Amino acid sequence: MSLLKPFAKLPELNTANVLLVDSEDTFQHVLADAIVQQKNNVNVNVRLARSLPLPAENEDSRPRIDLVVLILHLRSELSLSSAETSLKQLDPDYFLGKVCFVVTGARCASVPHERMAAVRKLATSLHCPLLFTEEQTAEGINTAACRVLNILRVSAGLVPMATGLSLFSLIRSTLPPDLDYQD
Amino acid sequence: MEDLAKEVLTRIVRKIPVVKLRQVLGRWERLSERQLRSLDFTQPKWALCENLLSLCEENNITVKQLAEIEMLYRTEYPDQGIWHVFQFVDTPEETQCSDFMHFRDLFKANLKSLINHVSIQMKKLEDESVWIRIAWGENFRRPNHLKPTYVVHHLQTPYVFVSGLTNKHKPLLFQALALSAQCGSVKDVNLSGRCLSALRDLSMRQYKQVFPISHQECLQERDPLPNPNIENEHIKLTEYKQQVASEVFGDAVLPKLETAVYKLETKYREHGNENLVKKDEPFRGVVKFSSSNLLESLKYCVSSGMASAPVTPLLSSITQKGRNYFVIKDKGSGLIPNTPGPKF
Repeated sequence: MSLLKPFAKLPELNTANVLLVDSEDTFQHVLADAIVQQKNNVNVNVRLARSLPLPAENEDSRPRIDLVVLILHLRSELSLSSAETSLKQLDPDYFLGKVCFVVTGARCASVPHERMAAVRKLATSLHCPLLFTEEQTAEGINTAACRVLNILRVSAGLVPMATGLSLFSLIRSTLPPDLDYQD
Repeated sequence: MEDLAKEVLTRIVRKIPVVKLRQVLGRWERLSERQLRSLDFTQPKWALCENLLSLCEENNITVKQLAEIEMLYRTEYPDQGIWHVFQFVDTPEETQCSDFMHFRDLFKANLKSLINHVSIQMKKLEDESVWIRIAWGENFRRPNHLKPTYVVHHLQTPYVFVSGLTNKHKPLLFQALALSAQCGSVKDVNLSGRCLSALRDLSMRQYKQVFPISHQECLQERDPLPNPNIENEHIKLTEYKQQVASEVFGDAVLPKLETAVYKLETKYREHGNENLVKKDEPFRGVVKFSSSNLLESLKYCVSSGMASAPVTPLLSSITQKGRNYFVIKDKGSGLIPNTPGPKF
């Protein structure tokens, strides 16, 4: 069980690796398939995990992870708590441009407001972008895959003149002003 | 035709959907071809009912014959109402009554000697199952055909499936069954559900079970051409969970159960709430799982990690013991159901 470090390994040529962390496996597999099937001129490898820390036996074969995507399902409380424990196992260097959140089920009316507020606060405090996706249509999944891929390219250093940190300072999530007053 | 017969017929016609009614009337064989053809099934149901009533009056149909329609419908579409499973125990070895005629005569004689006014109809189907329809009456009342009890028994097995039985008639039915099957008594297996074939499969363990295997290669063949770019970090763990789920719940189509009820009579043990922990008497509660296909849902819970991986005996007893009503008491540790599971 090792702490995931962003710069502990050497990068590979023209390759980007993304780690999808999700407590449920359906959306994770579908998103991984969509990401891999997008047309791009870069090798994209997707690794799937249920939670961090990652098992130590894969340590040697694991490449350098360029982006960690934490998938949150607003419909389940377990998803949020499992993501929070996983975050503690992530090296702090990752938060400088290599972590992002993907949230599903935001349109669902039965989701309690507190959960959404908690997710926003979490993303804002970590200065990470928050992407909302529609998980039930193929279009929604393709859009999500596209967006994750764009962020991945920047985080992996494959886009000239842009780094993860500079991108995130543009797209990171902020709390809407009315939410601030609720504390 | 008397009022009771009219009411029974109206009830039957109302309950059965028109398409199925057409099939069932075709198989009934009490109406002639010409009469059947004269019925217009595209009419509204009340008109159809009146036509049918007049036809039955022409043929002088009795209530008992009308009940045959309902029985035909139920045997064709058995998944209505709730079925409860019972088992014969203490069967002496040499008597295994597998002759339908013998069983039928014994049962009718026994039940009629126990209660005066009953109306019994028995039928044997091709899959070796005996269907019994019983309309109960009392000393001064005629049998009530509006609330019949259905009993299904497979002759070679000790299991009986009952639907629509009230507590008043339970001991009578069981005594008659016990005498006809020549066994000691009839015992409640604590299994119930809507789908008769599912209950049958679960009781007789006819669905496919997976046994633990030492080589994991065959599991990888299941994944259709995994993408080389996608890799699962926890692959060993996921495979283990899937294997465990298959072992406990079986691999193929699972029998369709709707609920599992756990009645708790244990003491409250959580550390948070001090008021409840102090009490000496047990904390009575009932936990009920319900789903359109309970075993599939539980299997998914285990294979996806929502339930812990060595499956708790509380969940695995549903398939291992073939029951879905458990009473959990505090003595010692673990699960002590109030009646032991079925023995072979």
